[in-house]
Amino acid sequence: MRTKTFKLAALVTSAALLLGGCAAPAADPAATDPATDSAAKGEIVIWHMEGVPNRVAAFDALAAEYNATNPDFTVRFETQQWDEIYPKIAGTAQAGNQPDILFAIPDFATYVRSLGLGQPVTDVVEGIDASQGLLDASKVAYQDGGEYWAVPLYGMVQLLWYNKVMFETAGLEAPKTYSELLATAKALTKDGVSGIALPAGKNLATDQVLYSLMITGGAANFFDESEGIALDSPETVKAFSLYNDLLEYSPKDSANYAWGEPQAALNSGAAAMAIEKGQYLTPWAAESGLDPSQLGCAPIPVADNGGQSGSIYYSNGAMVLAEDDDRRAGAGAFLTWLMQPDNYGDFLNAEPGLFLPVTTGGADLEQWRQNEVLSQYPECVDLLLKQSETGALFGFVDGQYVEKIGLISGQNIFAQAIQQMYVNGMPPAEASIWAQEQMKAAIE
Amino acid sequence: MIDVGNINQAGSDNKNRPSLVGLKKGNQKPVSWEKVFGFLLISPLLLILILTIGFPVISAVFSGFQDQRIIGSPSAFVGFDTYLKVIEDSSFWDALGRSGLWVAVNLVVQTVLAFSVAFSLQQNGRWSKSARTWVVLPWVIPTVAVAIIWQWLLNSNYGVLHYLFGEIGVDLGSPFGDPATALFSVIIVNSWHWFPLGAVVIYGALSTVPTEVIEAAKVDGATPGRIFWSITFPILQPVLFALGLVGSLWSFNVLDSIYLITEGGPLEASTTAPVYVYDLAFSEFRSSQAAAASVLTVLVLSVAALLFVRFGRPKEDA
Repeated sequence: MRTKTFKLAALVTSAALLLGGCAAPAADPAATDPATDSAAKGEIVIWHMEGVPNRVAAFDALAAEYNATNPDFTVRFETQQWDEIYPKIAGTAQAGNQPDILFAIPDFATYVRSLGLGQPVTDVVEGIDASQGLLDASKVAYQDGGEYWAVPLYGMVQLLWYNKVMFETAGLEAPKTYSELLATAKALTKDGVSGIALPAGKNLATDQVLYSLMITGGAANFFDESEGIALDSPETVKAFSLYNDLLEYSPKDSANYAWGEPQAALNSGAAAMAIEKGQYLTPWAAESGLDPSQLGCAPIPVADNGGQSGSIYYSNGAMVLAEDDDRRAGAGAFLTWLMQPDNYGDFLNAEPGLFLPVTTGGADLEQWRQNEVLSQYPECVDLLLKQSETGALFGFVDGQYVEKIGLISGQNIFAQAIQQMYVNGMPPAEASIWAQEQMKAAIE
Repeated sequence: MIDVGNINQAGSDNKNRPSLVGLKKGNQKPVSWEKVFGFLLISPLLLILILTIGFPVISAVFSGFQDQRIIGSPSAFVGFDTYLKVIEDSSFWDALGRSGLWVAVNLVVQTVLAFSVAFSLQQNGRWSKSARTWVVLPWVIPTVAVAIIWQWLLNSNYGVLHYLFGEIGVDLGSPFGDPATALFSVIIVNSWHWFPLGAVVIYGALSTVPTEVIEAAKVDGATPGRIFWSITFPILQPVLFALGLVGSLWSFNVLDSIYLITEGGPLEASTTAPVYVYDLAFSEFRSSQAAAASVLTVLVLSVAALLFVRFGRPKEDA
């Protein structure tokens, strides 16, 4: 009898374990699925890639403020990394557990859409446009097929930053043209100081600086009407050539530089110039030990012949990935709230100088202009806003919408072309053709 | 194993034998309840293992027969085309070659460091005792932090190591930015990160070497070198074999250190097989090619592991 009881108990226990083992995975996804999780709590999950602590804190504070208004859906920000977001969002697309809102830039948005994610947000964009006025440059990159696919939130643009003390000591002015930039970099390279610090690693930072120089060199648009790639133009080769020449006056480990190293080089006095976005304002005084007035800023130098003012311009937007109508409405309600003047200034202050307004009245928002950092650099802030007017982004120049641009930008082909010149000694003309072939292969 | 003949002849002895639930026809082997119960107990785990290991492997092999770009996008069956594309790509073989170099140099550097530290820890001085705690620090630091620390240490503008070497007239140049040195520089960082694991294991194994045997050898006039090769090393061999096998496979698959420091560059100078596969999948968005490359890599790795086991396994009488 005891043996029989033992056998029965063993059988039941084993069956329970087996069923438990089978059942557990089915129950788990609900516990980790942000969409399901947030649905139960009436919560909108927002993924962003602004992982710097002050930005995270500012976003969380805004979420708390919004949630205090008792909305239908509360919101929660989750920080992701740019390096990981491509595979991660592809994984969520397959699993069907994407976040409700995803911060994006135009080329990344094309990639997200190619995964089958993203809902039109035309009604939200038009609503904000009607009440706040959105800059055209911020909207067009998200317009395709008569619909908007992201709500523009903030812009980013590059300037030439320089150490005024070094310039004054050398009796130099801010360079305005390619040749002046090169001559200035050469003149300032002495006594262990690099004339300029440029990124040349295989990364987006390198892509961005090169593209800024391509814009000011007249090579902003390298797609023809049928979206064919033509990177072998004289203007492109000139920009490639300038970058390669400038690297001679950049620190010797530039081939491993991304965003942080050139900024650190400028702030530490190891370099006299750098080309980057507005995040240079906040740490300048503390890290350089110099007065805010000693940080120089100037438009990106233009080509000597046929150049035009400009810079790479990123319109950062929010894509709505929620597929449920109620959640989409909840996402739209939050984004509309965020863009209201009372809240928008606080949002832009998440990273003063880097986050630029995309609304027509944004530039005059008192809470933004009076920010303790921005108020110390009024001329540079005005210049950043001015550069925004002529900014451009590859794949979205003059109303273009190149669907496959995400396949190109994800590979950092510009950066690889720079390395071909800098590391392998490839001539600029060959490097531009090499990049052209790589881009063609990327979209095959 | 209990055979049928014994069962039939056992008589009263059967009380002490395991209860039998049946006999297999043909080979006449009995199946005990304990065995069935044992299999039932581990079956959930087996099922999970099959799902978590078997499914991805089969999925990767199958994906290699397709031409998918972005993960989850539509694709078509293309036979062996994708595998052939990878095989014909010289970058794949270059990456595999770099992986071989990566594993070999990491193994040598980490073994030398681990042995040196393990022997030092065996001493009874104050330094050795305290070192037993802090020597594992590189191991417990997250890889992201390790990557940042070394990038800053070797930065040409403000890197402490760069400065110190400069003071004694040695220009470190651009360790991570020069194609000639990038891979070896990352190997140094990776070895620094992981050698404490080997040191701790070897230190533990060293403590199993009988001191009386060492003492006897000393009395017989054996030199320290002779003692190491004739006594210590043979006793350590099984541990070193396991450490070498697991460590090599582990090392081969390292992606984070390389990607965080050089992203496989400059150009492809530090692109090992895992970096190559990752770039294919998530930079070039060629998921089927990445799957095919990973399947081929696993095959190469399996052959290497089998050879290691065949020729590296310590002899029984060792």
